[in-house]
Amino acid sequence: MTPPELRDLLADALALWQVPARVRVAAGGVALAAPDGTPLTVRAAAAEDRPIRWWLERPGQRRPCTSVLGLLRGLRNAVGAGEGEARRARVALPEG
Amino acid sequence: MSPVVVPEARLPVCVITGFLGTGKTTLLKRVLRDPRFADSAVIVNEYGEVPLDHDLIAASEDTLISVSTGCLCCVVRSDLTETLLDLARRREAGEVPAYARVVIETSGLADPAPILHALMADERVATGHILHAVVTLVDAATGAAVLARHPEAQRQAMLADRLLLTKTDLAPAVAELEAALTALNPAAPRLAASHGEVDPAWLFAPGSLPEFLEANARHTEGVASIVLERETPLPALALTLWLQGLVEHCGPRLLRLKGLVALAEAPEKPVALHAVQHLLHPLEWLDSWPGTDRRSRIVLIGEGIPRHLPARLLAAIEAEVRDS
Repeated sequence: MTPPELRDLLADALALWQVPARVRVAAGGVALAAPDGTPLTVRAAAAEDRPIRWWLERPGQRRPCTSVLGLLRGLRNAVGAGEGEARRARVALPEG
Repeated sequence: MSPVVVPEARLPVCVITGFLGTGKTTLLKRVLRDPRFADSAVIVNEYGEVPLDHDLIAASEDTLISVSTGCLCCVVRSDLTETLLDLARRREAGEVPAYARVVIETSGLADPAPILHALMADERVATGHILHAVVTLVDAATGAAVLARHPEAQRQAMLADRLLLTKTDLAPAVAELEAALTALNPAAPRLAASHGEVDPAWLFAPGSLPEFLEANARHTEGVASIVLERETPLPALALTLWLQGLVEHCGPRLLRLKGLVALAEAPEKPVALHAVQHLLHPLEWLDSWPGTDRRSRIVLIGEGIPRHLPARLLAAIEAEVRDS
């Protein structure tokens, strides 16, 4: 995902959670401010960091995320938008 | 992975909805006169103390149930589920005729979403019943004004599998109404009828996955119908994670989701998706594609869901899955 694509996805997610925030492309990722003013940065992890794919950073803290869903969950928590409704889906393949 | 087992004995359920005065009871009477649909159990929800509609519908007294304790969508968990379960128990015991389907006529003010949710959420109901279609009636003469003024009518139109324009003998559907319906629900096939004259088979056919897809998204005042289509089969894991992500973050704002998806692991058989609010129906494999079009097609109807979010989320998840 390119930084502009990441920006657009996170901006959509923030709108969905009804969190007012401006998201902009920053060096290596995107930057935004939580409603309380805390600066947040999301950066793609380096290939050698796998299984970590994303870093969600705030001053003094760096949270690893292994998937985009994990990133959204972490961001939602970071901006104080509460928790989502975690549900398990299952796609069982047909026989044969 | 084990296959999805779809019980064959589930009874189809059809929901007839529409704003006050759109002709639901007239339609129902016509349907029940058709010998092919005479073996239907009918649940009528009337919003008032005197159940008038009950007397207007010519059906077996044993399988015509009037629920008049209030608007069905408000009391749905108790009344509808208990009514369905009681009917099924009596059918099993031979106390009522062995009806072949259930038709639910909602009150004119009902929001269909909680009704659909109840059909899927209550395991006792869901194991014996399967939702076949939501048919929403819209008055050709007054529909445009009603849709503009009443959010209940909008939600009824949004959640429809099929839209039936009624009273077209009194007034043809105007362009304003057609545009409003297209904005609310571009996916639902539309048919015009007068005096309730319509082939019930059209109304109650199962499935209803759209053949449409000319627009990517239509929306009005916070509610949106969002369409995704894809040429390339999707990895099963990507679909799983996407569904989980949608449900987790959209929650009850996801009013309805339905679709046919080609999975990379078994592209010759489409998997049917169906969700109401945050409740995912077990995915069902169809034996084959219904036509020559093998594109994946998904329709989401939601409130306050950014129009590009589902596609962007799917793209991000798919990229991760393919890269793992």
